[in-house]
Amino acid sequence: MGAELITVSCDTHFTHLAWHTVEKELADVKFKMGSDKTGDLARQFGVYLGDDGLALRGTFVIAPDGRLLFSEVNFLNVGRNVDELMRKFKAALYVAKKDEGIPPTWNEEGDLTLKPSAKMVGKVHEALSNDGNPT
Amino acid sequence: MTETIQVGAEVPDFTLNTYEPQTGDFGSVSLSDLKSAGKWTILFFYPADFTFV
Repeated sequence: MGAELITVSCDTHFTHLAWHTVEKELADVKFKMGSDKTGDLARQFGVYLGDDGLALRGTFVIAPDGRLLFSEVNFLNVGRNVDELMRKFKAALYVAKKDEGIPPTWNEEGDLTLKPSAKMVGKVHEALSNDGNPT
Repeated sequence: MTETIQVGAEVPDFTLNTYEPQTGDFGSVSLSDLKSAGKWTILFFYPADFTFV
């Protein structure tokens, strides 16, 4: 879908190779593994833990025009859920094409969206229960 | 001290050395290349190799 997912940690690409070779859980994982050895990139995204030389579990989605469209940061011991990531990513793709609002109930294209208008103000509840039309 | 990039802001260009399982080789990836290819970029930070993702 025109996206490149890059996994990034503050290890070298040599360590990436070693880990990818040894850890069987990664056998089917084909994403490019980026090395942010200096922590510079992690620092720019606010996920660098300088004392430990580790990066927090941060996910950052950058649009083709270079703008950061959403971010999610979890503390070290909370793993991420790919379904959550995909929902937000699909939402970002959708609103890049259409100027509509994505309600929390949205999961994929075809689901109800909201079209911002003066009529919508104060009527989101009505719109959500009436096929997107404020009444 | 570098400013943290806010959602909605433009991400400065960066280049990372990579290990690329697809080819089993080393390479590099830069945001400017991905932008000129019209691609979305997803950065997926994790604490360190040999930890759970």
